[in-house]
Amino acid sequence: MGNSDTLQELARREAQIRAMGGPERVARQHQLGKWTARERLDALLDAGTFQELGAHVVARVGEPAPADGVVTGVGRVDGRPVYVYAQDFTVAGGSLGEMHAAKIQAMQDLALKSGCPVVGLNDSGGARIQEGVDALSGYGAIFRRNTHASGVIPQITVIMGPSAGGAVYSPALTDLVVMVRGTAQMFITGPQVIRAVTGEQVTAEELGGAEAQLTKSGVAHFAADDDAAALALTRELLARFPANNVEDPPRRPGRPPAAVDLNHLVPSDPNKPYDVRRVIAGLVDDESFLECQAGYADNVVVGWAYLEGQPIAVIANQPRVLAGTLDIDGSDKLARFVRLSDAFNFPLLTLVDTPGYLPGTAQEYGGIIRHGAKVLYAYAEATVPKITVILRKAYGGAYLAMCSRSLGADLALAWPSAEIAVMGPEPAANIIYRRELESAEDPAAARREKVAEYRARFANPYVAAARGYVDAVVEPAETRAAVVRLLSALLPKREARPSRKHGNVPL
Amino acid sequence: MPRRFQVTVDGHTYEVEVSELTDASAPALKPASGPVAEKEKASGATPLVDKERAPGARPLVEKERAQPPARTEAQPAAAAAGTVTAPLPGVALEVKVAVGDRVSAGDVLVILEAMKMENEVVAREAGVVQSVHVVPGASVASGDPLVTIG
Repeated sequence: MGNSDTLQELARREAQIRAMGGPERVARQHQLGKWTARERLDALLDAGTFQELGAHVVARVGEPAPADGVVTGVGRVDGRPVYVYAQDFTVAGGSLGEMHAAKIQAMQDLALKSGCPVVGLNDSGGARIQEGVDALSGYGAIFRRNTHASGVIPQITVIMGPSAGGAVYSPALTDLVVMVRGTAQMFITGPQVIRAVTGEQVTAEELGGAEAQLTKSGVAHFAADDDAAALALTRELLARFPANNVEDPPRRPGRPPAAVDLNHLVPSDPNKPYDVRRVIAGLVDDESFLECQAGYADNVVVGWAYLEGQPIAVIANQPRVLAGTLDIDGSDKLARFVRLSDAFNFPLLTLVDTPGYLPGTAQEYGGIIRHGAKVLYAYAEATVPKITVILRKAYGGAYLAMCSRSLGADLALAWPSAEIAVMGPEPAANIIYRRELESAEDPAAARREKVAEYRARFANPYVAAARGYVDAVVEPAETRAAVVRLLSALLPKREARPSRKHGNVPL
Repeated sequence: MPRRFQVTVDGHTYEVEVSELTDASAPALKPASGPVAEKEKASGATPLVDKERAPGARPLVEKERAQPPARTEAQPAAAAAGTVTAPLPGVALEVKVAVGDRVSAGDVLVILEAMKMENEVVAREAGVVQSVHVVPGASVASGDPLVTIG
């Protein structure tokens, strides 16, 4: 066989692989508003950077299928290497068999060894039944690698089609899940099984669509309108994250913040709500805030931003949702975000305005104690620079939880409007002045007076500042400048924890 | 099997019959005919449990016993599309809309005082107010319907 023959043979095989499931199936994929695996990789990666690997892999059973239903390889995003796998729904429904799984595992291994992010584009009917336990084992080995890579390299999964049963757990083990509205669905048991077992009537979209997984379950972190938007967002996420836990997240050119009158944004009346995202906008580089899990537990706002070009993670209470209380879902969202950001070296900026934990039997029976403990654990465990700004209310346990100095903030600032105390003025006055209130001729008037007295004496930043729990009381309009100064000084900070197998985060 | 309770709300005592339902669509709470406190004062009947309490004390036990059936009735309504529910327990401070008002997504419907905060409860989507389920001053539990928009 001459050179030209071997080249022809390669070209023939490559053409077959590139044709994927054939024109009919590709057309059907397009009809559904979905791109093919290869079109998706073209949109995700810098032009001309994709090197496919494992293209000739085929299953041991059944007819050989192009690339065995998953396109794998390495490419670049923003010039930085990223390992990718894209399931191809046009080939055997993107079903996962032994070799399909082995190709994904190979990308995971290469990514972990070389300290590069790994991105999965999932669009699969599930396990390839013909391959039985071999397919099942394929999932297990992917889960194990997801776990071992956790906190070492960023792992992002984009759900661009069905993802059901065992297929949902690899995404759940990765750092960030992006879902496409209308075409992506995730669930453990589908609508038919639910109808048969519980009698509940629900569509696949209602059950596991992007909206449900983003706003009801908190499984997804982002939702995008179509494939193009989901992949553009994934590029943006990759551009913001470091390649691994040893690198720092890349800086960007600094920009002034949005024009927000911070001195007059937070109402002085502690009973009035406001949108804390306006505070964030007024502090960070203009339009740099990328909110994570917006729409889920919105009483806590989290996301990444830049401060004079330095990447930071922002965590804030949202007074306009659930009065800014901490609840089960908000605690989970906050703690997970803090741990992810700490793992990848984003300094933490925490903005505090919370009246406390959400009361109620649903919260207590739901385990707010153990969920709330995750917040404490995540903040105390984090070794990145931690700066806390107390905007208004900071009472009791919730004050401690929101990255207080005592819990491990490197620096705590407070606005003059801050109320830092062991509890809110009303209940505190009732306890401290119980005798006076009982013997008063007009208990209501006496209570009002004592509440005002308590507020004046304790509900301010100066009592905490007098003990050093607050390092500086700053004017809102001066806060950005102060945080920039302090953060640049804190960046070289190194903190070590005792070596151990791992901590026991209160799950 | 209906059980009878006496409930005192803001100084008014009511007799209520409470029965557990399997069919949630039927009415759960059947108010007795008007306040009974006056009647009893006049007839010199033995003091009610509530009367023995300090003035102004809230009859928590009675209220809570009476509430669960009421809530099972409220839940299907709360789940109905277009019904905006209380995100947390509190007191409706202001009701900003009336039946027939046209609202856009994000418009404030009710100011709900809870956790020392005047929480703005907003419309999720645009529409016309079909019914308002609260009056200013009303206490609501988490998940109670506030306003239905169609």
